[in-house]
Parts: sequence; structure tokens; C-alpha cells
Amino acid sequence: MFEPKIIAFLCTWCSYTGADLAGTSRKSSPWNIRAIRTPCSGRVAPELIIKAFSEGADGVLVLGCHIGECHYDSGNHRTAKRIPLLSSLLTITGLEPERLRLDWVSASEGVRFSQIAQEFTETVRELGPCKWNAPDLFFATQPEIVEATETKVEVGS
Amino acid sequence: MITKKIQEYASSLLADQVVDCVIGYEVGPRRTTRPIFVDQQADTDRLVWNQNCSHNLTVYLRQKLNDTEGRIGIVVKPCDSKTINVLGAENRIDRDRLHIIGIECEGILEGNVKQNADSGELQRRCLACDLTEPLDMDYMIGGSIERKNLPDNSTSNKLSRWLEKATADDRLEYWLSEFDRCIRCYACRQACPLCDCPTCLFEREDSIWTGSSATTKDNRSFHLGRAFHLAGRCIGCGECQRACPMDINLGELNRVLAREMEEQFHHRAGYTVELSPITTILGEGR
Repeated sequence: MFEPKIIAFLCTWCSYTGADLAGTSRKSSPWNIRAIRTPCSGRVAPELIIKAFSEGADGVLVLGCHIGECHYDSGNHRTAKRIPLLSSLLTITGLEPERLRLDWVSASEGVRFSQIAQEFTETVRELGPCKWNAPDLFFATQPEIVEATETKVEVGS
Repeated sequence: MITKKIQEYASSLLADQVVDCVIGYEVGPRRTTRPIFVDQQADTDRLVWNQNCSHNLTVYLRQKLNDTEGRIGIVVKPCDSKTINVLGAENRIDRDRLHIIGIECEGILEGNVKQNADSGELQRRCLACDLTEPLDMDYMIGGSIERKNLPDNSTSNKLSRWLEKATADDRLEYWLSEFDRCIRCYACRQACPLCDCPTCLFEREDSIWTGSSATTKDNRSFHLGRAFHLAGRCIGCGECQRACPMDINLGELNRVLAREMEEQFHHRAGYTVELSPITTILGEGR
């Protein structure tokens, strides 16, 4: 069975704590979710989401505090506006809109986190592997560049 | 006739010391026009207006306002006046230090810096344009033409319609082949009057996560990011695409976002002095 790779950007104040609660209250959530803790869902720049898809994510989940409960007052307002817009931009450039999901999970909603995580994983599983991470057309034939080893500078010498 | 009026008016502005400098168009090589900065009365006869004046001159405003203490005169097409509205809303320019010379516009002809503008066809943005005179100006030249609704049979419009109906795989392939050509010269960014962060996100020293190499992946991240930064701000002047040496279809990304801004937020950039809705908080109703 296809196991999707899902990057979840979780707001540290609500959703990350919510995910924690899901764990401590023994609610299972799929291991496909790779959680990234962010200070606020407003910190999730569109470039981060594009980068996640470019690097091989099959789905990106952005979870933040409910509207009106943001730790920074209006951080999630911006997320609420940005993500639908980004979704339509990514759609026109060839991504299925279902692969990007925005939702709200508060710190006390461990059950809700587990539900959303399962739902989203199933949605992405049905879509199959993401084609967005296409091979680099121009550089495909180029040899891999070996990284130069850094010379250590010892302090005090 | 308009050329003559611009020359006379610019001359009087400089003589009365209303402005320090007038930004306008002059005749360039191969039937093109190019921007000119006139700060002496003797040079005003170089100013010109014709249907090849495609540049959005507002791109020079910020730099010029920083360089001088006085006021700046600027020749503005109806579409360019939308840029001034956006820049004003974002407090990037001081409207009081501008003297806007508005020009009536019948549309600008197709053609770019690399070829003659002699196809005789109007640019796509001009076919869809609904303005004949600037939204904001201090002095108007002309102003008697009527705007006709023209059918848009351009290749670019056909492509847009194809993209709307194409499958996700086709769209992905199309855009990857576009982004693959990018050489990261940043001409699109430099030509844009609204893309003027002091340090660009894609060129910061700590911007490894945005990807700054000229590979297809990083190019895609750059172009989508660039388009997104202009969401609700882009007024569709098309300078980015005109400046692009690799003919990447940047205008399409901007149009998609403009359409989405209108559908989702009922916002059309530049028609009022108003910030892009995605930079503000949610309203009462939402």
C-alpha cells in the first residue's frame, strides 16, 4: 500500500500541544505525518509549503489556532487568507488542491487532531504519489557535486 | 499633438521650479521608446508619447524620490496610475511629492525590447483595459477618446484558456518547461515597480530554504514565490514578462492570482488606495 509522506506545520501554542494531547490520551494518529513545530501558523510562509512539495512531500497540512484564539492576536488571520490563495496558485501550476489542507486545532482538541490527521492521510493516499517533485529537467544529466569538506579552525591556536 | 503638450507642460513645470525632474519617454533605437529623466528645460524637447510607450515609469519613483528633496513630475498612463495607488497605500511613496501628468491612452502596441513594435496589435492587457484616463493625476493631457471593448484573440489568451481546461499533469509539464528556462537574472524583479524589498527574500544570505540555484525546482519556488508576493498588489502592467530574456509566461501567474483575489476577496489592485487584503486581518463578516 502507498504510504504518503505528509509534512504538518503545527502552531506551537495550539496544534502542536493538541498533537501532544492526542499522544498522551492514547489517540492514534498515522505515522505518515511529519510534524514541524512553528511559532505560529502565520509563520508558515508560502515558500516553505512550495519547498516541502518540491522536496518530495505528498501532502502538506497546516494547523493553527481557531480564529480569534491566536497567541499573536492575528497571525492565523493571515494564514486563513494566504493558504486558499496559495492553493489556487499551486493548482494552476499542476498540483491537486486536495494535497494542501488548512485547519484549526486547539490545544484541547487531541481527538480532533487525530481525526484530521487520519482523514488527510487517507485523502492523500487515494491521490497517490505526488508528481510535483519532478526530476530536474536541465540538470538531470549533470554529475552530483561533491560537497567541499570544511576545514576546522581551532579556537585559541 | 500629445507629445507637444507634454513637452510644453514639462517645460513650464521645470521653469516654474514646481518639480526637480520629469520622468517621461524618449525615442529609443529600433522604433522603441525608453525612459528619460529630464531635469533641464533644454531637454524637454526629447520627451515623446506614442503607442510604443510600454514602460511603467513608476518603477523609478522610489529611487528618484530618495535622491532629491524636491518634487518629481512623472508621465503616467492610466494603468500605471494604479501602481501609484498601491505604492501610496503601502506608504512607499509620498503622494505630495509627486506631480502626475496623466495621459489619455488608446492602448499600447504589442512588441518588446527585443523586437520592433510594428505588429500593429494591441497588448493583451490593453484589450482588457477599462481605463482611458489615470485614476489620480495633477494635470491631464488629452482625455477625449472612447474605450471600445475589443475581442481578445491573442495567442496568450488562447493559452490561458487551454491552461484552465488542461489536466494537472499537462499544467505541471507546461509550467516546468517554462521555469526550466529561467536563468535567474532577476530582470522580472527589477522591472517590477512593486517588487522592491531592500533585500530580496530569494537573495538573502540565510535564504537557503527558498532555494537560490538556477535549477528547475528552485526556479519554480522563486517564480511562485514572486507571484505570491504580488498577490493583490500586481496591477498587471506586464513589465516582468516584457523584461524576461527567456520569454517565461509570468503574466499568466499574475493574472491567475489577480482573478483569485477578485473571486475570494473582491479586490482589484490599484483601483483604490487600499492595501492588499492578504496583508490585513479578517473582517467582521468572515
